[in-house]
Amino acid sequence: MAKVLKVRFPEECNGCELCVMEVQRQLGKVGLEGSPIRIFRNGNEFSVVIDPLAATLDITQLNKVCPKANFYFEEDSEGEFSS
Amino acid sequence: MKVNFQAKKVLFIDLAHSSYEVKSFPDLVPFLGGVGVGLKLYELYAAQDPVIFSIGPLNGFFPFVSKTSIVLDNDGVVEDIYIGGSLSFRLAFSGVDAIVLLGKSAEPVTLDVIDDTASFDYDPANIFSLGLPGKKSTLVTQGSFVVLDNFFTTPLNILNAKFVQKNITGMVVTGSHSYSIDDMTRYAQAYREILGRNGELSVGMGSSPSCSGCPMGCDKSRVGEAGGNILSHCLVACDYAQSIYSDVNIVFSCLNVLGYDYRHEDLEQIPSLVEEVLKRL
Repeated sequence: MAKVLKVRFPEECNGCELCVMEVQRQLGKVGLEGSPIRIFRNGNEFSVVIDPLAATLDITQLNKVCPKANFYFEEDSEGEFSS
Repeated sequence: MKVNFQAKKVLFIDLAHSSYEVKSFPDLVPFLGGVGVGLKLYELYAAQDPVIFSIGPLNGFFPFVSKTSIVLDNDGVVEDIYIGGSLSFRLAFSGVDAIVLLGKSAEPVTLDVIDDTASFDYDPANIFSLGLPGKKSTLVTQGSFVVLDNFFTTPLNILNAKFVQKNITGMVVTGSHSYSIDDMTRYAQAYREILGRNGELSVGMGSSPSCSGCPMGCDKSRVGEAGGNILSHCLVACDYAQSIYSDVNIVFSCLNVLGYDYRHEDLEQIPSLVEEVLKRL
């Protein structure tokens, strides 16, 4: 079964974008372009959009930078992202 | 793309002629960025009533370096104010070090800045559809303040007064570039070391929206800053992280990791360089 990166409490995201910077560092770059995690702002609320291919990321480091330690892997029992 | 170590890249927006131009300034490198670059640009373009948004070399690259410097005239007095939110990240990834707004628009206009280009939109209803989702910051005049991303603002309402004078209803800034760092391992280690010093900040964890690059979500950054440490404001670091970014050794290390060749002496001279410009203004 494939692993899918998810956010445990999306409503707790404070929009700091540290997760975006962390995944980009893991991919060898600094910036927003092509990030597997994107944060969309709407005033005090944020939505976290995650690319299914983000399953290869180092989630330990991701949770170290996230003030809410908000990320986890879920097994993709439906096989939606299995290949 | 690679970090430009040789010059400061500035996007000039001419409001009267609805045009823009990008210029490169090697002479601004000694000013580091932020308020230093902002004041020097103000001196150069004072006749055109400039409003200068500027960042420093660590914005977007290191934690707690999350503010944007704004230099502008306030009834004959040059002011420097600072706004939080996501704007400094967007500027950092737009590839420009500063945006300078010159002159006055003939009719109300919203500026749509994407990387180093600008377009002019004359329908205020369009503002939230401009820019690229997830990579933009939106500044809008609301009441007597300019509000960033519907939350952050500046400590004085002089930016709003200037936007009204210049006929600017808003500005959307999108940064879509990514940078490569020669020594990514060393950079990541330095980044984590700085992030681990969050206990040294003079604010605690809160439940407000955070500025980009800061996990704290403090309730104080909503209303920006005015005044403070010159080195810290040249970076443009958060004032609440002054204990970290007013330390020349830490700043030197961060710059060195990214590949800048500033010397300790260069950093130590910045306050006097900025003061010389201030005396001439």
